[in-house]
Amino acid sequence: MKDSGLGRIEISPHAIMDLASQVVLECYGVVNVASKDLASDIIEHLPFENRQRGVDVHIEDDRIIIDLYVVIEYGTRIITVARNIQSAVKYSLEKALGMPVAAVNVHVQDLRISAD
Amino acid sequence: MTDDRTPQGEQAGSHPQKQSDASFTQCDGRTFKRLIQAGLVWLQRHQAAINALNVYPVPDGDTGTNMLLTMQAAYAEIKDSPGDNVGAMAQKVAKGALMGARGNSGVILSQIFRGLARSLDNEETFNAVQFAAALREAATTAYKGVIKPVEGTILTVARESAEAAVTAAASSGDLRYILDRVTSEARHSVTRTPSLLPVLAEAGVVDAGGQGLFIILEGMLRYMRGESVTVDSALATAVDLRQLHPESEEGYGYDVQFIIHGENLDIEQIRRTIASMGDSALVVGDSEAVKVHVHAPQPGTPIAYGATLGSLSRVIIENMQEQYQEYIVGQTRRPAINTETLSKISTIAVASGQGLTKVFESLGASAVVPGGQTMNPSTEDILKAVEGVPGNDVIILPNNKNIVLTAEQAKSLSQKDVQVVPTITIPQGISALLALNYQADLATNARVMAEAAQGIQTAEITTAVRSVQINHMSVQQGEIIGMVNGELKVKGSSPSEAALAALGQMDTELYEIITLYYGQAITADEAEQMAAEITEQYPGQGIEVVDGGQLHYFYIISVE
Repeated sequence: MKDSGLGRIEISPHAIMDLASQVVLECYGVVNVASKDLASDIIEHLPFENRQRGVDVHIEDDRIIIDLYVVIEYGTRIITVARNIQSAVKYSLEKALGMPVAAVNVHVQDLRISAD
Repeated sequence: MTDDRTPQGEQAGSHPQKQSDASFTQCDGRTFKRLIQAGLVWLQRHQAAINALNVYPVPDGDTGTNMLLTMQAAYAEIKDSPGDNVGAMAQKVAKGALMGARGNSGVILSQIFRGLARSLDNEETFNAVQFAAALREAATTAYKGVIKPVEGTILTVARESAEAAVTAAASSGDLRYILDRVTSEARHSVTRTPSLLPVLAEAGVVDAGGQGLFIILEGMLRYMRGESVTVDSALATAVDLRQLHPESEEGYGYDVQFIIHGENLDIEQIRRTIASMGDSALVVGDSEAVKVHVHAPQPGTPIAYGATLGSLSRVIIENMQEQYQEYIVGQTRRPAINTETLSKISTIAVASGQGLTKVFESLGASAVVPGGQTMNPSTEDILKAVEGVPGNDVIILPNNKNIVLTAEQAKSLSQKDVQVVPTITIPQGISALLALNYQADLATNARVMAEAAQGIQTAEITTAVRSVQINHMSVQQGEIIGMVNGELKVKGSSPSEAALAALGQMDTELYEIITLYYGQAITADEAEQMAAEITEQYPGQGIEVVDGGQLHYFYIISVE
């Protein structure tokens, strides 16, 4: 993807997915990642190994486009949480990869309602 | 017990118990309201100082401002409420904080109030034990909102100060004492945040969100103690919300989509309203479910509107910040890093020719010992280089079969920790050097570099210095020959013919990059001609041409 002058550096979409899922799991308000498969609309509580399933990465012209499928805590301000996710993921990926993130699309698949 | 005189603008209300030193054991709704107000006022006063603690330039850009706006929204819900039921008051505060939550710390703060309200639900008043339990529920609720809580943040401060409340409530029923202990612990907890979160330590700051929570608590404590909690400017002149929308700069915009589920939805009305909020509005559906799509400068506007009509699902917010990206592309260039200052490991390469020497130096080799075929450096030459480089850990790249042994001898004579990575060609040496990991230790690097060297194939085109019969080939002195990975494999009538023949022996089509180092005897034009011929034969491979300037070898070619 990049030529630093010392040779190529390739970052696989899978690595970016891992990175993005780490960041999103630390975002406040995100209580799970969701399967993006809407056919199986029941949002499973995925084991951690599978958490990349909630992350899609596309790379166009060396710019990263991330799609995140998340479950957000009911009772938080969803729009603010989503915006925080966008900025946190964008910031962390650009810092780690030195590649611009063109878009962070947040798909709020479900809300988790904690027992009162 | 309580005192509900209207605050006089500059003062956060009057104080309970100011006149007497009687202990303060019950807090009702009106006092709770004053506490919230005092927290808000004190936060407003410290807003700028909290903003200054920012570490991350992007996420949660203005922590103090975000928390203040959240607190203002919370207070706005109770401002005109006379209520003396603390449970109802806490619910309103939680609702206001939820609706007005700004930024990461604002969302967390809203969850703290949510937990507090949940614990105090239906209570007329609260005592010390109830207060401690409520603070603990507040911290627990806040923690529930994230899968991987990051310690050293407002979360930690909320939890540790709640624990202090529980401890204090076990020995005293005085709410002032409890709040004093809570605030004191919050202060200490904040000062500990850099030890929990390295990024804070690096920046030399404490966590801004945690500091914000401490300030809110301190404001409450000051109110309880009867100390002044003054407002810099009247609360009425709240910060202009518009200027606090960094996301809403021109040219950004959000693609917002959601579905409204409700009853008797007026699709025409929704369409007109949504269309007034942005571009590309698309509203379809029936009276029970309406799908909305719009490009809006503020994603919250259409969503908040939709939420007034029914429940929302499939909420998608896409950030369309193309212009910003153009800017970022231009910003990502970084100055080259001087590898010698980074690595404790020094590397010594053996190479001949100015071009190759430069190549190795530019890749971070600490020293280049001149040498190669027919001009093998002596053990002493290499030893001198080993002793001359900084540091105790040294890796030698001999880059020639005949020099590996010399390098091993130098290793045995040196007091330093020396590893020889037995590279037998220049491209192997380059490949190995690229694999050097500045963080790994000497032995690991030696292994990794040797592996990297094996991943590359090399052809060397030279002139036979004597007649020889080898590998079923008869070679006359002066003939042009090609060595593949150190073995004599081909010969040709010209350097380019031999080079192409050698490439034919290397499964070149399976590799990605061909690098052509041309020697002293070859001109740049000839090298370009050679590269063109190679490209013609191997159109699928990238080719790089490097002025190696080496003696004896017309070309050194690597494929990887």
